[in-house]
Amino acid sequence: MIRYLKDKDGIVVLTLDMEGRQHNVLNHKIIEAFVPVMEQLKLDAAKGLLKGVIVTSAKRTFLNGGDLDYLYEAVDPEEIFVFTEKVKKLLRDMERPGLPVVSAMNGSTLGLGFEFALATHYRLTVDNAEIKMGLPQTRLGLIPGNGGMIRLMWTLGIEKAFKVAEEAKYYNVHEAKKVGIVDKILDSEAEMMEYAKKWILENPKGIQSWDKPGGKIPGGSTHEPGMAQKVSLLAAQVAKKYKQKYPAIQVLLNVLSEGSKVDFDTASKIETRYFTELLVSKTCKNMMKTLWFDAHEIFGGCNRPQGFSKFRPRRVGIIGAGVMGTAIAVECLINGMEVVLKDVSSLIAERGVDLVKERLLEMEAEGLITKSFRVDLEQGVIATEDSKAFRKCDIVIEAVFENQHLKSQVVQEAAQELDDYAVMASNTISIPITKLGQSIEMPDRFVGLHFFAPVDRTEMVEIVKGKHTSEETVAKAFDFVKAIKKYPIIVKDGWGFYVSRVRNTYLLEGVSLLMEGCPASMIENVAKGTGMPSGPLALADKLSLELVLKYEKQAAELYGPKYIQHPAVNVIEQMLEMDRKGGKEYDGFYSMHSNNQKRLWEGLQDHFAPDLAFDPIDIEERLLIAQVIEVLWCLQEKVISSVEEANLGSIYGWGFPASKGGAVQFINDYGKEDFVDRCKELEEKYGPRFSIPSILFKLQLEKAEKVD
Amino acid sequence: MQDVFIYDTVRTPRGKGKRTGSLYERRPIDLLSTMLDAIKKRNELNTAEVDDVIIGCVTPIDDQGYNIAKAGVMHAGWDDSVPGIQINRYCASGLEAVNMGAAKIMAGMADLIVAGGVESMSRVPMGTDGGALLHDPELINNNNYVQQGVSADLIATLEGFTREQLDEFALSSHKKAAFAAEQEYFSKSMIPVVDCNGLTILGKDEAVRPNTSKEALSRLDASFEQLGEAGFATMAMLKYPLAEYLDYVHTAGNSSGIVDGASLALIGSAAIGEKMGLKKRAKLVASALVSTEPTIMLTGIVPAVQKALSKAGLTVDDIDLWEINEAFASVVLKAVGDLGVDLDKVNVNGGAIAMGHPLGATGTILLGTLLDELERRNLKYGCVTLCAGAGIGTAAIIERL
Repeated sequence: MIRYLKDKDGIVVLTLDMEGRQHNVLNHKIIEAFVPVMEQLKLDAAKGLLKGVIVTSAKRTFLNGGDLDYLYEAVDPEEIFVFTEKVKKLLRDMERPGLPVVSAMNGSTLGLGFEFALATHYRLTVDNAEIKMGLPQTRLGLIPGNGGMIRLMWTLGIEKAFKVAEEAKYYNVHEAKKVGIVDKILDSEAEMMEYAKKWILENPKGIQSWDKPGGKIPGGSTHEPGMAQKVSLLAAQVAKKYKQKYPAIQVLLNVLSEGSKVDFDTASKIETRYFTELLVSKTCKNMMKTLWFDAHEIFGGCNRPQGFSKFRPRRVGIIGAGVMGTAIAVECLINGMEVVLKDVSSLIAERGVDLVKERLLEMEAEGLITKSFRVDLEQGVIATEDSKAFRKCDIVIEAVFENQHLKSQVVQEAAQELDDYAVMASNTISIPITKLGQSIEMPDRFVGLHFFAPVDRTEMVEIVKGKHTSEETVAKAFDFVKAIKKYPIIVKDGWGFYVSRVRNTYLLEGVSLLMEGCPASMIENVAKGTGMPSGPLALADKLSLELVLKYEKQAAELYGPKYIQHPAVNVIEQMLEMDRKGGKEYDGFYSMHSNNQKRLWEGLQDHFAPDLAFDPIDIEERLLIAQVIEVLWCLQEKVISSVEEANLGSIYGWGFPASKGGAVQFINDYGKEDFVDRCKELEEKYGPRFSIPSILFKLQLEKAEKVD
Repeated sequence: MQDVFIYDTVRTPRGKGKRTGSLYERRPIDLLSTMLDAIKKRNELNTAEVDDVIIGCVTPIDDQGYNIAKAGVMHAGWDDSVPGIQINRYCASGLEAVNMGAAKIMAGMADLIVAGGVESMSRVPMGTDGGALLHDPELINNNNYVQQGVSADLIATLEGFTREQLDEFALSSHKKAAFAAEQEYFSKSMIPVVDCNGLTILGKDEAVRPNTSKEALSRLDASFEQLGEAGFATMAMLKYPLAEYLDYVHTAGNSSGIVDGASLALIGSAAIGEKMGLKKRAKLVASALVSTEPTIMLTGIVPAVQKALSKAGLTVDDIDLWEINEAFASVVLKAVGDLGVDLDKVNVNGGAIAMGHPLGATGTILLGTLLDELERRNLKYGCVTLCAGAGIGTAAIIERL
């Protein structure tokens, strides 16, 4: 598991090579395996035989993180505390043999793996675009809790350490160097090992800055008034950004603030206590379940139609060189595909290609891609006005203006040029795929691909299966979405598909609160306080009230006599009558104020007399539960086929609070019985839209009851 | 004037006041809020009924700065209506907090007060708040203001206390404290300090050495010789010309220990106790505050006790048990001798020499220890008294109910 090889210079190379695993991870087994290794090191060091230690890996990754299966199941604080302190003891021994220890990171080093690397005295890596580094723990509601935060603080100072852990990025090696968590990048593994040895011989001491007498944290501790003040400002920024809904981010700051005032070992113990508290929390388990385990299952293809060989898209056609089309083009390019970008004229298409190139330049400036890679990518995109250019494309995606006639036309035109293997896709937000597919000869190979803006920062794509879309086409669409590294969520054709449909109920609930007299500012603030990215009224304005109403009309059409009109529809109609349509051009619930600032429309008070009796908790629950119920309807109507997709889609699709683990996991978090009781109360008070779809009683829900 | 009753007392175990001490990892607001939380839960307190929280803290900077009383009240999630004030009467602060609260209740200005103290000496070392009395050269020389340990040695010198006598007293403090801990005499008021997961960080007083001996104590170096010889001894002798030389008899072993801790007392009028269903445990009979000559500094106890006794209409013999703060062994021995108290009634469960003296918190710790012991022994009157910086002394007399 760990190979121990001593060379003639007295340098030990420890090679991590876990049996039966693709990656090395820091689990119980490897920690046990380290015990005799550390003994041997101590023994050899005592004999004066050693100059230093290099740690490297026999896998393609160096150390890929901790044991998430264990962490997910762990519920006993005492056991977690003891285990974490055990890992920390190993890392502490690692950095204090009185010898220099170098991490030669020949592959990705993430999470707990990177915390391990931080406990060595020098970090080397090789120039390889596939290597990822960083501390992504906060993505799962945790912190680097194995000494990582404290070592990061001592390495970078409080502010930078906070930023690195808060951003939770997967850095490439150049970014990692720039951030300051990697010391040197070498061209090859051989050079790296060579350099490691050289460094060891030149730096025989091997002592961390935190173990040096009089050692200081860069930038100072919170004992110093200047830093204390900076930390209090950071606290305010955390409130602004996370609305106090993500305990892990708060804990990062707590650990840094408290940890900077005390010695390393005490700081490390404080870190363990907070880490333990987070790990047993509902929020952390929710996030781990949905954003790690379920996300992996989904990405791994648990819902992909079976029996179809892997689709490898090489050339992608895109119709529409606007914001959406060019953004999709960029995603395809950086994931190794060629792009044919078409618009009504070559000139407009060329302009689109320029936009793509601009974005690539930006990415280079941000350090996301190298210059030579960027130059290569620029060769991969061509502009055209002729559908014939799509002939060799594996998939063509239309992303033109949201107009049924226009979309039908471009789809029909492009489809004629495709071979039998290729897929035709439409990026529509509101037109049923089955309807659009009527215009082409091969509706079985036609599918919806609903991208969300901004494409580069959204983690999922909705795959919309029309009535005639074949299973094979769905599988191909799935493989395409996976190839651009987004989560493929398969949904049934219908009004608003999955994401827009549920999002609509959220904003309609906000509008009905307004109608009942709840002050608009309160609706918006409480909504944002739940962790939703935008208040319901602002969101309605952004989408345009016409689109909001359009979804409702589609629902009315679908359900026929069974349709019960949402009370908020009247308000939407009233607003439209007053020409307050929202969207890009009109005022809606908000008006454009001076300095390009939007403010809630003063007229709202005249039309909806404010009543101050509203309880914020009530507002919060209505806004969230309205979404949860709509998600249950989507499951019942098979708009979406699994709880896992429903959860992940709710977080990545419309920003349902990740701390709850998604819109179905919310029920677990709330407690199923309490949820049912609460819905009954809401139904009595506000009407049948809060009645619970029967599917809830058939669902197997897991986790969250298990803790506290 | 309303009578004042003690309804409850709580304290933390005392942790060694250094980096390796168990409580070092906890912020002072954590120590304080642990106590606030405990006193709230034990008494099912509606915190909105509490008129004020008065907290003694002697080094109120950094983690203890900007009014730690209010910070603690907020950290514990008490009602917004509870104000909170931090006070500093040096070593007497904890008892002073009780006395000030009592005065407000007597006057009818308040009904229910939580008084206590907190001091994390590991995090905010004594004297780091600066101050003219510690550092101003003019003030120091005009008043012959010496370091406290030098004052303690001056007392020993003038009283003729030997190193053996002081060490013997220190040894008894450790033995009594260890025995009391073993018998769980402290468990009535002591609240373990736990972490955010409920895991225990410290459950008992950490500084006690049950196995210490006369020999071990005798091997310790004098603590204040260097300071004395630097010039403070000369200042002491300028003020007290009877002392031919200064006998450096105080050591780390027979002086109070540097520790972290917090404590609280819940005091109030009879009416509020009835209203809230609280049990009267003792009546605060009288309290007193004095100040004496600042060079010898640590002699405020005797006049403070006499003043309190006279207000209470009691004599020394009426007092069943005494808690005299063990700032230094000579302080207790002098007070006992001057007052004519039976040493068997003094600090029966040990004191600050064994368990430590978390400056701002000690007064209330002693009050709680005294009350618990009066109850355990079924006795009536107790007196708690502390000397403090610059000659100040304070005392309180309670009657168990």
